[in-house]
Amino acid sequence: MILTIDRLTFSFDDAPLLRDLSLNVDAGEIVCLLGPNGSGKTTLLDCILGFHRPTAGSVTLCGKEIGAYSRAQLAKCAAYVPQQHTPTFPYTVREAVRMGRTAHAGLLGAPNKEDEAICEQALRQVGMEAFADRPYTSLSGGELKLVLLARALSQKARLLVLDEPTASLDFKNEMRFLETLARLARQEQIGILMATHALQHAFYFESQALPVNAVLLSRGKPAITGTPQALLTPQTLAEIYGVRAAVHEVTGEHGETMRSLTLFGSMEEQ
Amino acid sequence: MQQATAKPNHRAAKTAALVVLPFAVVLLSLFFGRYPLPWRDVLAAIFTPARVSDAALVTVRQLRVPRAVAAAFVGASLAVSGAAFQSVFRNPLVNSGILGVSNGAGFGACVAIVCFGGGASTYVFSFLFAVLAVVLSAFAGRISKTTTTITLILGGTIVSAFFSAMVSIMKYVADPYSQLPTITFWLMGSFASINYSHLTALIPMTAGMLAIVISRWRLNALSMGEKEAATLGVDVRRWQCIVVGGATLCTASAVCICGTIGWVGLVIPHIARMLLGNNNRTLIPASISLGACFLVLMDLLARSLTGAELPIGILCALVGTPFFVYLLKKTKGGVWR
Repeated sequence: MILTIDRLTFSFDDAPLLRDLSLNVDAGEIVCLLGPNGSGKTTLLDCILGFHRPTAGSVTLCGKEIGAYSRAQLAKCAAYVPQQHTPTFPYTVREAVRMGRTAHAGLLGAPNKEDEAICEQALRQVGMEAFADRPYTSLSGGELKLVLLARALSQKARLLVLDEPTASLDFKNEMRFLETLARLARQEQIGILMATHALQHAFYFESQALPVNAVLLSRGKPAITGTPQALLTPQTLAEIYGVRAAVHEVTGEHGETMRSLTLFGSMEEQ
Repeated sequence: MQQATAKPNHRAAKTAALVVLPFAVVLLSLFFGRYPLPWRDVLAAIFTPARVSDAALVTVRQLRVPRAVAAAFVGASLAVSGAAFQSVFRNPLVNSGILGVSNGAGFGACVAIVCFGGGASTYVFSFLFAVLAVVLSAFAGRISKTTTTITLILGGTIVSAFFSAMVSIMKYVADPYSQLPTITFWLMGSFASINYSHLTALIPMTAGMLAIVISRWRLNALSMGEKEAATLGVDVRRWQCIVVGGATLCTASAVCICGTIGWVGLVIPHIARMLLGNNNRTLIPASISLGACFLVLMDLLARSLTGAELPIGILCALVGTPFFVYLLKKTKGGVWR
């Protein structure tokens, strides 16, 4: 098990935002973190990345309690792809990816030949090797996300933590990103924990026959966990998101069964 | 593939140029000055001091050498601090004075000139107040036990404004015939009074520059923002302290021996960015080299352009601005598009 969260409770003030939450991420497994705005998805990710200290419970990463890690050690176990990245300086794509090797480098943080080879490989894994010498400020939103993913991959961490990685991407870039993630889980056996608003992401990974779990957060209530198929039903969507919805089965390109979501409307506030 | 083989040579040539250039410029500057000396005498004074007149020896060894060396270190210090601050604060528009160093040093100098008659006390007070300004900025920007980069900039701006007002008060109370001109000249910056005793300031400058040089790879990660830098494995607080501490040491000791010289800390890093890119790995050493060259050349112009010596702070802006615009057009802004 790469990541084990055991009965985690976290509160900013008196009322707990996350309560008694337990979840596991195994090698090659994708866990989709779902829930409405303000349900604590980003807060949970921040607990895993060591920015928040849990009020109660434990977060164990690669067999070690999260509080026992230094920043550099943590970066070697868990890599992060932010929801939004605002570039300041026009580094080349290659330079941006190399920053992922900072934790692995010595006293000065200078990368060596091996680090450079790992970065080239990471660029190939996301299909951005042709862009290596371009300034990363000149990329489109979708390309930038792939570069940030390559930067995370170059950390050679066993866990990949992503915060709504496809939030601002168009359909093609969204699919390209999801396909890359699916390939990484399958071929590299990386564990992926991904906060997302798009339920169809969970359905997509499930249709790709990957081990997928969905964790549904709702503010202050205990989270519920299960396979997307079992968990994401019209009843739970009504309960957690407050929407009227239907989930249908569709036959995919290769005869596989895929699930799809249709939203009818929002529910009246009680 | 062709590019990959061509690149290392290219890089080696640039590295060599950056190493050699400051020495060449310092050497060049020894040939010019108020007291006219034939170039043979200058050469002799440098290499064969036994076979030259005392006047030439004193002019070159006691006046021109310390002055050029001081200008080189001050230029390097201001430029590299500016470059480091730009990365730490994720803002290409900040300069070496962002945390109030210049105005703090200015106030310190005023206090020394008005209350203690200037002289050696000027260096001590301007250094101490420059450091104090940065410490105050950090405290002013401290909110609920943490200082974020934004509140630190805010703190710096506030402290700068405060010391700027204090400088005005000191000018107001200063004696208009003896003290006020001294203050005014100090604030415009000059290397005219530099001698070997000032070169003590090279020690803190070198220490500060070293701190920034060893941080240069981590500056890349820091420029991604605090959260991302932390997830990339950088102990953000520690490295921010090292960089800000180093830059403060650099700029405070630079400013205390030659007065406030603006501009260098903003523009030299940008010239380096246009010429060599934004990777701090090369940007930091390039800023040191180009900053040194620039200020030695400016000092050379300051003492040889006109009959009376021009204040170097003013000259830097006068000559630097058109050069910067030229470079902006020539490189098409590098990659700032």
